[in-house]
Amino acid sequence: MPAITLHGAEKNYGGNAANAVSDLNLEINDGEFMCLLGPSGCGKTTTLRMVAGLEHLTGGTITVGERVVDCVSSGTFVSPEKRGMGLVFQSYALWPHMTIERNTDFGLRLRKVPKAEREARVQRVMETLGIEKYRNRYPSQLSGGQQQRVALARMLAVNPDVLLLDEPLSNLDARLRLEMRAELKRLHEEFRTTIVFVTHDQWEAMTLATSIAVMSEGALQQVGTPNDIYERPANRFVAEFVGSPPINIIEMGEASTNPLAASARAWFARHFPRLADIGSIGMRPESLAIALEAEAVSEGAFHEKARVSGVLPTGGSWIIELQSMGTKLFLTTHQPPAISDGDEGYVHIRPEALHVFDRDGVRHAAADIQLRGDVGNAARKAARKVPA
Amino acid sequence: MSAASEREMVRTAPGIWQKLRYRARVALREPTTLIGILVALLFAYLIIVPILSLLVDAGRVQFGDERRIGSEPGAWTFYYISRALFSPVAGNLFWAPLFNTLSVAFGAISISLAIGGPLAWLVSRTDMLGRRWFSTALIVPFMLPAWTFALAWTTLFKNRSVGGQLGWFEALGLAPPDWLAYGQVPITIILALNYIPFFILLFGNALRRFDSQLEDSARMLGAKSSTVAIRIIGPMMLPALMSAIILAFAKCIGEFGVPYVLGLPVNYDLLATGLYRSISSRQTGVAAVLAAAIMLIGVISLLVDARLVREARKFVTVGSKGAMVRRSALGRFRIPATAFAAVIFIVSVGLPLLTLTLSTIMRVPASFALSNFTLDYWIGTDLETVALRTGILLSPALWNAALNTLSIVGTASLCSGLLGLLVGYVVVRTPLRPLAGFLRQVTFLPYLVPGIAFAAAYLSLFAVQRGPIPALYGTAAILMLALIADQMPYASRAGISAMMQLGKDPEEAAQISGAGWFRRMVSIVVPIQKGALVTGVLLPFISGIKGLSLFVILAVPATDVLTTYSLRLVDYNYTQAANAVVLIIAAIAYFGTLLAQKLTKTNLADGLGS
Repeated sequence: MPAITLHGAEKNYGGNAANAVSDLNLEINDGEFMCLLGPSGCGKTTTLRMVAGLEHLTGGTITVGERVVDCVSSGTFVSPEKRGMGLVFQSYALWPHMTIERNTDFGLRLRKVPKAEREARVQRVMETLGIEKYRNRYPSQLSGGQQQRVALARMLAVNPDVLLLDEPLSNLDARLRLEMRAELKRLHEEFRTTIVFVTHDQWEAMTLATSIAVMSEGALQQVGTPNDIYERPANRFVAEFVGSPPINIIEMGEASTNPLAASARAWFARHFPRLADIGSIGMRPESLAIALEAEAVSEGAFHEKARVSGVLPTGGSWIIELQSMGTKLFLTTHQPPAISDGDEGYVHIRPEALHVFDRDGVRHAAADIQLRGDVGNAARKAARKVPA
Repeated sequence: MSAASEREMVRTAPGIWQKLRYRARVALREPTTLIGILVALLFAYLIIVPILSLLVDAGRVQFGDERRIGSEPGAWTFYYISRALFSPVAGNLFWAPLFNTLSVAFGAISISLAIGGPLAWLVSRTDMLGRRWFSTALIVPFMLPAWTFALAWTTLFKNRSVGGQLGWFEALGLAPPDWLAYGQVPITIILALNYIPFFILLFGNALRRFDSQLEDSARMLGAKSSTVAIRIIGPMMLPALMSAIILAFAKCIGEFGVPYVLGLPVNYDLLATGLYRSISSRQTGVAAVLAAAIMLIGVISLLVDARLVREARKFVTVGSKGAMVRRSALGRFRIPATAFAAVIFIVSVGLPLLTLTLSTIMRVPASFALSNFTLDYWIGTDLETVALRTGILLSPALWNAALNTLSIVGTASLCSGLLGLLVGYVVVRTPLRPLAGFLRQVTFLPYLVPGIAFAAAYLSLFAVQRGPIPALYGTAAILMLALIADQMPYASRAGISAMMQLGKDPEEAAQISGAGWFRRMVSIVVPIQKGALVTGVLLPFISGIKGLSLFVILAVPATDVLTTYSLRLVDYNYTQAANAVVLIIAAIAYFGTLLAQKLTKTNLADGLGS
């Protein structure tokens, strides 16, 4: 039973603006930790607010459990206060005129929970989040991290079926963010609530989510486990958005005069003569390797001459900038590189590490079968993308 | 309906009708929209209808004119327009006042620009001595009614052309000529002094926000300081400067108190006093034409201002992150610059207030012998005057007027503060965008209409019974309604910006927690907006207390307020008493403004430009 289903959801803010969200079909399963990931302006926050009922739809349906909460064609609209969800705002939105305790028990008071039970629940959630000692303070007297915990406590206190989080970590410094990330993961395991989390930070999505929905310009690009998203990006956008440094893309169309593309085309013609309609190929920086001698290139790998044009240490790993036939490539390695600026060698990559996209920028299914020899994964992913 | 059948319905795209039904359900789920519609109707009646009624008056035969025009009352006619604009008396009725208004405005603005511009720079960007103190002291005239200074002027310069107590100079035997005592010269000087704060506030604010790094970048690229001034600072400061000029101009067009005190004795009319004359001589139709002309000038100048503000928005990046504000060292000009500011302070604030204060405790003007000083005019009894035989503080008329002021202005301010917050709430929250737009504009409309024209509009609408609304002229109600309408631009602006600052989040968080509309209002919105609400009441109260133009047309002796009371004392030549009342008004306005600033921890300057 999915906890939340969006069916053909559409949002247009009016005027001549393009749809903020268009024809969105998404199922979020019970107990899932779903991340909506995308660049700013991709419609992820709008989607979250539509689920919460804070934005109304301009088309489509939203179902929570068995209940239709929002449907344009039947004129159904359930107000946010009656949806029984929790939402943690990016700004935390604590009520400045109430103490931490009153902030936390506001929802319980509204539900007329008996005093004893209310106090017990507030006590428990405050202790869980470590804000018990601030109960009589006002929000302005707390640090960002503490405020963030209060915002979370306020929503957890009423024990919602669904917890929505709108970039809750983006206002924290790096160290606190790491801490809260671990805490969120722990809370999810403890409370088993369905969580929908909006972020533009791919690492946050990767580390937290049980599944990720990548969005761009109001449209869903791919839904899958963090591994799926990284290892098998469904299209060029997902491939380029996820990963840092970004994936190396080589345009392979006939119009491309890039010598590296010509070399790759020749390599494909030699090894995979039946593969047609290749639009571009992508190579993750960590899948690339550099060898100073031609003999060191592994058997069957795509390889080409390259010159080192920069070695950038990033602390524990290195980014190596290469020039191969006039194209710039980035390579990352965790081994101290035994090369320096100006060295000449061979850049190479194993066939199964190549990401092949067709002319429309969609992942090339036939290439996956031929290069990686797998069928199952692709079929599973296709089934997942659009609910029946 | 089950989820499955819902899903069946989705297969066909929803039609227009279905979409509308859905939108209506979303909009009417909460009372916000309903309240908005009610408030919009109220303001349509309080603001739009009076203005329309006034415009219609200009084109229709008024009662009492049917013989002269030769047609029935209510018939359409060009008589008033042609009388005001083209007849032999048009010169006196319209063209001379228009010309006078424009020349006074031009003169006053030039002088205040020439003085206020440098002062703004001195106060905001230099190391002048006592800079902080001056930045507050120099804007005191802004907090006081302009005609306070007109009264101070007459106290000093009044000559024998008019009856009553003499001015100090005349009493000393130095007879000031008429051109110095009345008319264009003093009006221009007083308005100029009164508008200096505009420049210090608006222009100074823009200067203060100007990031020194922008200047530095130009210097680094090799620009001379004159090039920097002309190419970088000038263009960026121009919108703020123009904005100050136009606001001063719009204020000048509607200025009533100063020309009333200083222009009337020599028949020097501005548009506002001309309008007042037409109303008091019962030429309703001509008054309507004059009021429409004032309105038109107000609208044009504020449209120009709106355009400039839009221009200025393009520069919002100025002074964002890491802005650096460096003050120029004045070097050997430090002392002269400070002296300049001090002189302006003395002339524009110190001297007038001192004169007024002294005049209330002196029996005979300009005699500084100790025996001439008395507190009789404040607290004396059994004075040898025809009327007002007690000191002003012991006079029941004063307390009556004070009570009236408090109840009329107080009630009106309370209403406009609450309405302002309500308008702010609806504008920010309603999903019905056209309603928000209408409310925003209709509440801003009175800003375009100078108070005196607005009062004329109210007079025209509420003088007689119309439908279920009884004739309101002579009641406190008409004053309150006119005040509410007149104060709405400020109140609604304050409400809208407070709601904008609050943002949606705190309320939405409460909504998610399960709070309905009413609960959110009581537990979240109003408690958070307490401060804004207090200012939204206090600021209109202050401007209402020192306001003159509305009352002078709409008040009758039964609804006497402090301003009209003091004006009558001026007319009856009770100089000391009149000056004392004006000082009381000035004190209330001044301390009220300070209180409002303290309560909200804001600066006057911030609210002015937006």
